[in-house]
Amino acid sequence: MSKSFSFKKYKDYLYIAPAVIFITVFFISSIVYALRLSFFEWDGFSEMKFVGLENYLRLFRDKNFLTSVMNTIIWVASSLVLSLAMPLLFAILITKSSWSGGFKNIFYFPSALSGTVGGLLMTSILSIYGLPKIVGMMGFPELVRDWLAIPYVNTFVMIVSGVWQGLGLNMLLFISGLNSIDSSPIEAAQIEGAKTFQMYTRVVFPLMKNTIVVVLLMSLVNSFKTFDNIWIMTKGGPYRTSETLALTMYEESFIRNDFGRGAAVAIVLTVVVVFVSYFNIRNSFKED
Amino acid sequence: MHKVESLQDGRMEVGMNKTSKRNRRIINCVLSVLAAIWFLPVVFAVLNMFKGQVEYNMGSFWALPEGNEFMANVSYIRDNARIFQGMLSSLLYSSCGAVFAVILGTTAAYAIAHLKIRHRMFWFMVIYSGTIFPFQIYLIPIFSGYAKLGLYDTRLGMILFYTAICIPFVMFVLRNFFTGISREICESAKLDGAGDFQILTRIFVPMARAPISVVLLSQFTFCWNDLMFGLTFTKSKEIKPVMASLSLMNTGHAPAMLTACLAASLPTILFFIFLNKNFEAGFAYTGK
Repeated sequence: MSKSFSFKKYKDYLYIAPAVIFITVFFISSIVYALRLSFFEWDGFSEMKFVGLENYLRLFRDKNFLTSVMNTIIWVASSLVLSLAMPLLFAILITKSSWSGGFKNIFYFPSALSGTVGGLLMTSILSIYGLPKIVGMMGFPELVRDWLAIPYVNTFVMIVSGVWQGLGLNMLLFISGLNSIDSSPIEAAQIEGAKTFQMYTRVVFPLMKNTIVVVLLMSLVNSFKTFDNIWIMTKGGPYRTSETLALTMYEESFIRNDFGRGAAVAIVLTVVVVFVSYFNIRNSFKED
Repeated sequence: MHKVESLQDGRMEVGMNKTSKRNRRIINCVLSVLAAIWFLPVVFAVLNMFKGQVEYNMGSFWALPEGNEFMANVSYIRDNARIFQGMLSSLLYSSCGAVFAVILGTTAAYAIAHLKIRHRMFWFMVIYSGTIFPFQIYLIPIFSGYAKLGLYDTRLGMILFYTAICIPFVMFVLRNFFTGISREICESAKLDGAGDFQILTRIFVPMARAPISVVLLSQFTFCWNDLMFGLTFTKSKEIKPVMASLSLMNTGHAPAMLTACLAASLPTILFFIFLNKNFEAGFAYTGK
């Protein structure tokens, strides 16, 4: 009797057990392991050697790591502008055009492709056969070179070309945000004679605050994690000048076999992302 | 759906301002030009698939193809780059990963939303934590764990990993849906003698058909498009998923590479076309 009672009591937990086991084995233990590994020196084969904080201290003296931090800041800062302002502008124009469904599909289409495919398409467009050739024919022969191979410039080239693929999702979210706002305050503002620009900054954007905050936080978190595009377009090069933290982590561990150092980079990245995600999560659970 | 949208559009028109005919025409023109720019990379990618390697490298990126080398490019990506093999592998990993994750995620969501388990918020956060951390942190621990357990470079390893990484999102979406289902339905089913499991399979799953198919598709797409994990956890051509094979292709043969891009995008393009009517609902979920 008591046995069946206790089985009944725990039976409900069987429903969550597989999911919890999967998550614990794959992800939670991984975080503990990575944290521990970041205090060791390890090449993946020989004995692990405890080095304390040495991995972290070495990172902050390393020129490549500091470049990578700088690039990450550039990616994040520009994604704030490009992933908010441009999709919002496109969304406004699309809702006011006469062919909104078609335009929506065209601008969303690149987002339906994978980051790898998008990166490869952009690589071939930006190679010397593509855009640079056209620019050269327009009278700038010094620009006929592989734009992705110019150190420090290529980060900006990648950010701008990333708009092609990155615009779609945010634009969709803004369009549905625009379509769902209540029209009465807008009519009221119109009667009062508000100009179009004022109407948006004073009435429409405040009404869309929720959508804007969600898109902002989501893009912020995602911009820290960009990997596929950069890996495809430059592999972080030339001379490791276009790496971001996600790339540096991969390079240190899987190309240079310095797993302790790679783990330390991963921990730095995680601390930053979790800090930003905290606001994201707090925001998305506010309604609960 | 369509009717609602046009209704809303209509409301916007009345509300926003009397978008004059002239303004609307300007907006249409601006968007048409932008749409042409947006679609141009796709057009040129397709054109260049019909060129040979030599013809492309002579610098005719912007020219129309002279002959038809498409079939030669197809056989190149089949024999040299093993893209079709990669597609078969990815099909296996993505369908198994998505289906298993939906099964485990649904049962977990059901337990958290409706069964009598203690600390449901805690269990929710345990599973949800899989989406909070940047995925880069999992690379080293899972790579070295897989190497020890003999799961590195195996089909089983890839399926298990993709299942694990999809569970949190499935659980998150379905928990939100299940909490919206009223308790009275469960109570009356219980009076009729249904067990917890029957309530899940006979009542909850049929009611959740729409969100389940959305997460199934979005998680399939996520696994199919993944580059980073496929690149890290596999080595041999027989096991590599499609995006990893694509990223390792010889970039000197651009026409074949673009043909491979098309092949690798086929499933996502098909989803884009099929889901077109309600893709706003569907693909807004894809962002992780």
